[in-house]
Amino acid sequence: MARKENALDLGKFIDKGVRVKLSGGREVQGVLKGYDQLLNLVMDETEEFLRDPEDPLRTGSQVRKLGLVVCRGTAVMMVSPTSGTEEIANPFQNAEEP
Amino acid sequence: MLPLLLLKTAQGHPVLVELKNGETYNGHMVQCDSWMNVHLREVICTSKDGDRFWRMPETKIRGNTIKYLRVPDEVIDKVKEDSFKRDEKRPNVARGRGRGRAVGGRGDAGSGGRGGGRGPSGAPGRGNVGRGRGRGE
Repeated sequence: MARKENALDLGKFIDKGVRVKLSGGREVQGVLKGYDQLLNLVMDETEEFLRDPEDPLRTGSQVRKLGLVVCRGTAVMMVSPTSGTEEIANPFQNAEEP
Repeated sequence: MLPLLLLKTAQGHPVLVELKNGETYNGHMVQCDSWMNVHLREVICTSKDGDRFWRMPETKIRGNTIKYLRVPDEVIDKVKEDSFKRDEKRPNVARGRGRGRAVGGRGDAGSGGRGGGRGPSGAPGRGNVGRGRGRGE
């Protein structure tokens, strides 16, 4: 198996808005400025989506400005582009899950 | 059947990924790697309680946060097909290597092979080269 192959190449996200979920439950959004093979990230204009302590689900209304941030790679769970990401109604309403 | 082989075969198929934190991601697997990092396209993310949903054009998920993945049944057949094809192709290659190593372990042909490589660099290797070549050919 090719060891060098890496499904986490973030090259095309550079200078684009990305949303990152971190282990432990934090979620941040910002402009990706850099990354390395360990998935450490540099993000600018970062803001964190705060959670309501009563309701562990993300409310998305409250944000905390963080600015320029280095995210440690081991804490990164998921990276997706900001644009095109939206909350939607239940898409599995009619169709059962595959 | 190796798990990562199944995942590799599942590339291009719709999959469901559940993370350790309980969120699930439905999408088409674009790519996965040997760390089980997964790149999905046309993703629907479902919150832990299954009440909220997000659509995202693509997402990259770190392998070590994955609890499990669901893959369509047809991928299994594809894996079998692929491994069958591989088995048909491989034996020659594998045998070739196998023989070389096995015999090398015993001494003669192995030193021949090595001798060939070492030969040009110095005299001590030459004796081996001679032997090796003679037997090899």
